[in-house]
Amino acid sequence: MLKSEKKSLFRFLALYTMMVIFMIMLLSLFYYQSQEKLMLSDQRAMLTKYAYIHTKRLKVLHHYFDERREYPRDPRFKSAIYDLEYMKIFSLLEEQNVRFDEEIYIINNHIHLVKTLDEFYLGAKYLVVEVKDSGAWRGEIWKNIIGYGFLALMFFMLFGLYFAKMFLKPMRDSIVLLDKFIKDTTHELNTPLSAILANIEMMDTEVMGEKNKTKLARINIAAKTVSVLYRDLTYLTLDHEKGNQDETIALKELIYDRTEYFSVLALSKHLECNLDLEEASITMDRRKFTRVIDNLISNAIKYNKRNGMVGITLREGMLLIWDTGIGIKEENIPFVFDRYIRFNETEGGFGVGLSIVKQILDEYHISIEVQSKEAEGTRMVLRW
Amino acid sequence: MVKYIVIIALSVSGLYCQDAYERHCVECHKELPTSLQEMFKRYLLVYSGEQNVKAGLKHYLKYPLKEISVMDDLFLENYGVKEKTTLSDSDIDEALDIYWDKFKVFNKLK
Repeated sequence: MLKSEKKSLFRFLALYTMMVIFMIMLLSLFYYQSQEKLMLSDQRAMLTKYAYIHTKRLKVLHHYFDERREYPRDPRFKSAIYDLEYMKIFSLLEEQNVRFDEEIYIINNHIHLVKTLDEFYLGAKYLVVEVKDSGAWRGEIWKNIIGYGFLALMFFMLFGLYFAKMFLKPMRDSIVLLDKFIKDTTHELNTPLSAILANIEMMDTEVMGEKNKTKLARINIAAKTVSVLYRDLTYLTLDHEKGNQDETIALKELIYDRTEYFSVLALSKHLECNLDLEEASITMDRRKFTRVIDNLISNAIKYNKRNGMVGITLREGMLLIWDTGIGIKEENIPFVFDRYIRFNETEGGFGVGLSIVKQILDEYHISIEVQSKEAEGTRMVLRW
Repeated sequence: MVKYIVIIALSVSGLYCQDAYERHCVECHKELPTSLQEMFKRYLLVYSGEQNVKAGLKHYLKYPLKEISVMDDLFLENYGVKEKTTLSDSDIDEALDIYWDKFKVFNKLK
């Protein structure tokens, strides 16, 4: 699966999972509430019976209040009486917090039934009957919620995965098509490009007139530009699958070598090269480091102004490539390493160069910092 | 002469030793067969809370009517509806506060 495809799939699944979890939680809440209501309706019948019995006792106490002062007690339940103004007349409740806005409710593992009396014996308008809630019903509900919730989550995840793949298929097809096209094009480029470059090297420039020398230089530049592109595409489609052949690279020599290679390109734009190179080394695949350097130098040249400057500073653990070119808009900087992203269409290319650079640097845990100002220039700082 | 003065002074001081409830309520009710406590229970049965009971009682004292009396028909037939009170609001309130405190159920149950 492609990286971009994976990213899209992951994002979709993350969002989908959150939605599914939210939906399951909501359904669980409704289920829990309905089960609680069911349990309370079972309890209501019993508590109403207790309330009825207790009301009779209160009636007796009311009539004999001059002689008796003992509040009636029952081992099966606790009770309390409140007057019209919700003032407590007497209470045996374990849970003293009483809600008068509900007829039956659960509070701190106690079930309360609030019964409104028709006749206010002892001045009591509300009779509260309390029994303990064992909580056994809750265990059963949780078991169901967790069990069925998990099953539903699994089902929806599989469903989501199937849908995500279905929705991503058009994107995948277009990317595969583009990759296939690039792969095929790359193969076709190899032979003619090698022939052009080899013949340019072999040409005897001493017997040529100045006009022809200039023409040859132009052909050389064009061929080298295509060559960089060709190598990027080859790397992208074939090379990066090969194993690394890491070695300690003397960077100063390599950078000299690569600047020499691009010197014709720089000269064509009348660019001034500023090299400040100290001895430094790095352990990595030479081929890959060359791709990084080639891309960064060729970008610094390509996106530069005429008579501009290109500079390379090398220190142990740090490489800086800077230019006085067109720069990158601030809002575009986070996307410079995305594949097929190009902010300037004036120069040729597929927009794969910096994507390759990032891929290689990430592989070797080398950081890259992009500092750029539009119309002023760009600085790429590599640290390892 | 001194004897009369002492007798009058004793009776006046005795009268003022009584609280508003005793002065204005007990005096008349002691002749009735239903005790004030019994009547209080009837009010509780109908009006429940303190403010409600006091308001109900006050209203009945000021505007006595057979239809709103808490007493049963037999009692009313025999003793009739009481006369409209001549007491001031503050006197009624004072007497009712004492009446409530005397017979309220709060803090009396065990």
